[in-house]
Amino acid sequence: MDTSREDVGIAIRSAFLKRGTQQRFSLFVLVILSILFIFLETIDSKPLNLLRSFVKDVVYRSAVVVSIPFEGISNFAGFFDEHINLHSNYKQLIEENKKLQDSLLEESFLQLENSQLRKLIDEQVKSSSNLVSARVIIDKQSPYLNSFVINIGNNKNIKNGMSVLDGKNFIGRIVDVNYFSSRVLLVTDLNSKIPAISNPKGIHAILSGHGTKEPTLDYLPKNHSIEDGDLIFTSGREGIFSPGIPIGKVKIFEDKIKVKLFSDLTQITFVNVNLSKAEKEE
Amino acid sequence: MANTLKQIQYKFFDILPLIFLFFIALSGNSIIDTGIFSVNIHYILIYFFVLRRPENLGYGYIFLSGIISDVVFGLPLGVSALSLLMVAAVAAYVRVVTVRITLVNDWISFIPTLLFANFIYFISLYFSNFSVDYVYLFKNAIFTFAFYPILWGMFSLIMNFTKS
Repeated sequence: MDTSREDVGIAIRSAFLKRGTQQRFSLFVLVILSILFIFLETIDSKPLNLLRSFVKDVVYRSAVVVSIPFEGISNFAGFFDEHINLHSNYKQLIEENKKLQDSLLEESFLQLENSQLRKLIDEQVKSSSNLVSARVIIDKQSPYLNSFVINIGNNKNIKNGMSVLDGKNFIGRIVDVNYFSSRVLLVTDLNSKIPAISNPKGIHAILSGHGTKEPTLDYLPKNHSIEDGDLIFTSGREGIFSPGIPIGKVKIFEDKIKVKLFSDLTQITFVNVNLSKAEKEE
Repeated sequence: MANTLKQIQYKFFDILPLIFLFFIALSGNSIIDTGIFSVNIHYILIYFFVLRRPENLGYGYIFLSGIISDVVFGLPLGVSALSLLMVAAVAAYVRVVTVRITLVNDWISFIPTLLFANFIYFISLYFSNFSVDYVYLFKNAIFTFAFYPILWGMFSLIMNFTKS
């Protein structure tokens, strides 16, 4: 019995502590180093942040280069797919165009009415010029983090918590800023919780991601009257995001109040970052 | 001339696991996710080569590829590195205690490896305040286990082109 225990001990020591043939480090040293790295991640100090930012920028740029072949393949597949669906897409576009022309007339009237009403209540009409555009450089979705990396960071005054839009639609927020890059946490992520409001009923809720395509509305009042097709906007509560940014449409499925996003998160190449939070801080 | 070409071929296939290791880490393809199933190629690659040909895949490189994976996936630095090193550690232990290497032996000992590595992954993410989808983690482990023989065959084929 003692001999077998000794054997196990020797085997573990041999695997962990000894440097194998052509190995420069022992496993034990590297495991300790990994634990040290995890611990250092929790420390927020300027030199460490600078180092982290540098390492991340270098890895992101290298990842962009390495991903070129994959991008080429997916671009070719997309090109092929587009050609196959050309006719049906054309028909769909004509229909959409008709609808858009109708809604444009309605929208211009609503905009006029909106600005008049805002003037009436003395609210300053904000311009949309506080948006800055960025390109998605890495969109590899992690199983544990639905996010992507954009090509602007501290160099464009990006700060943590800023809202990120696809066109005019809300898709996520900045969670990690480096000098030349930033990470966007998407609304679908398990860690994403966004204060939202429904339209037309004005019910406040929290939009929670679950790692799936459609986030859900949580923390609704008991006797709420949310219905299929209600629109969801950012509520601007707690001053995190600007209010009234469109997010999606309610889709009730098996008693779960899901939100079908206006943007397809798998098809995003360019995004707008709302700098208004930084302006407020300054 | 033929000898030189042979030498180049040996050298190339010797460093192929290393190239593959960094390629999947940098391109973010260490976990192949089709929507229906997901397979962790990183685990299989490290487990196989640490078990069968440790001189081709240094522990330092494994650590570095883990750090790169963490950056690409946006996880706290060190989380993937630690779990990958755990895979390497179990593989190194299995190598020390095993006399005869067969697919079945490798495959069975891959079960505790996956359990241990995923446990470390889960613990590290838990302490970093990351929400984890347990069901996804479980499914990923099952499919990684199921896919092991396929990649075992492919990697064995690569090993046939190396010198020893």
